[in-house]
Amino acid sequence: MVSPFKIFPFVMYPFIVSLITGCVSYRVIKAVEGRSVPTIFEEFLVGTTTLQEALQTLGAPDKVAELEGKDVLIYQQSLLSNSGLSFGIPFTDIWGPSFNFSAYGELVRYDLVFLSFTPDGILSEIVSEKGSRYPYLNTILSDKKGN
Amino acid sequence: MKRFREPLFVLLLVFFLQSCAGWAKNRDYHPFDASELDRLIPGKSTATQVTEILGAPSNIVKLSNGNAYIYRRSLSKGTGLWLLIVSFGNYDKHYDQIVIFFDKKNIMTHYGVTLDAHKASYGLPF
Repeated sequence: MVSPFKIFPFVMYPFIVSLITGCVSYRVIKAVEGRSVPTIFEEFLVGTTTLQEALQTLGAPDKVAELEGKDVLIYQQSLLSNSGLSFGIPFTDIWGPSFNFSAYGELVRYDLVFLSFTPDGILSEIVSEKGSRYPYLNTILSDKKGN
Repeated sequence: MKRFREPLFVLLLVFFLQSCAGWAKNRDYHPFDASELDRLIPGKSTATQVTEILGAPSNIVKLSNGNAYIYRRSLSKGTGLWLLIVSFGNYDKHYDQIVIFFDKKNIMTHYGVTLDAHKASYGLPF
């Protein structure tokens, strides 16, 4: 018996590929919001650095707020990573039940610098977090408490 | 090897025929001109002068010793690529921001500027 792939290759291969297209898919999405946040611990000193110096070095903050009588500047960049795998065989029309498997994951990481200033404009606290240093797969699959 | 050539060609052809790509661009626009900041003098310029030059702020925040006027606009660019069973998406958003600090008498004390929106770019997620 001659294989239909030999007789109608231009029909059979697209047909098979079309079937696969509907059944298997993998996606990768990345979204970045904001500029990269610099590491500033070496340049900035609590009790010495002024608001003016911080603004000259880092530019305009992404968020400004008052917190317990102090002025807070926040610089942040968010990095979203999303990936998903879907696999299914749609038997519904010919058999009834279908087989379908899918797995999706989304992780948003933040690089942050938090600066707190006294009402006189003197730096009183620095907090920095580099969320982007955490690898995607290890972080999203982690079962550690708080993660 | 020769017998695989034809099926491989057909598969590649289908692969590209079923592929597509897309681009998108979004601009959240506020018409402030950062070059006008040279006309503002810390310690002298008032909030009224600032709004005359830069227009209405996007946001106002009350601080411990006055207020901050925030001017913000953004540019985002998105790229999508679909290759048969694999798809890629990339989204990049950057901001132009000016934050102007005022004391309780509404006199400008400091300002910070970041002009970063032009850095938004198209691309792939790797």
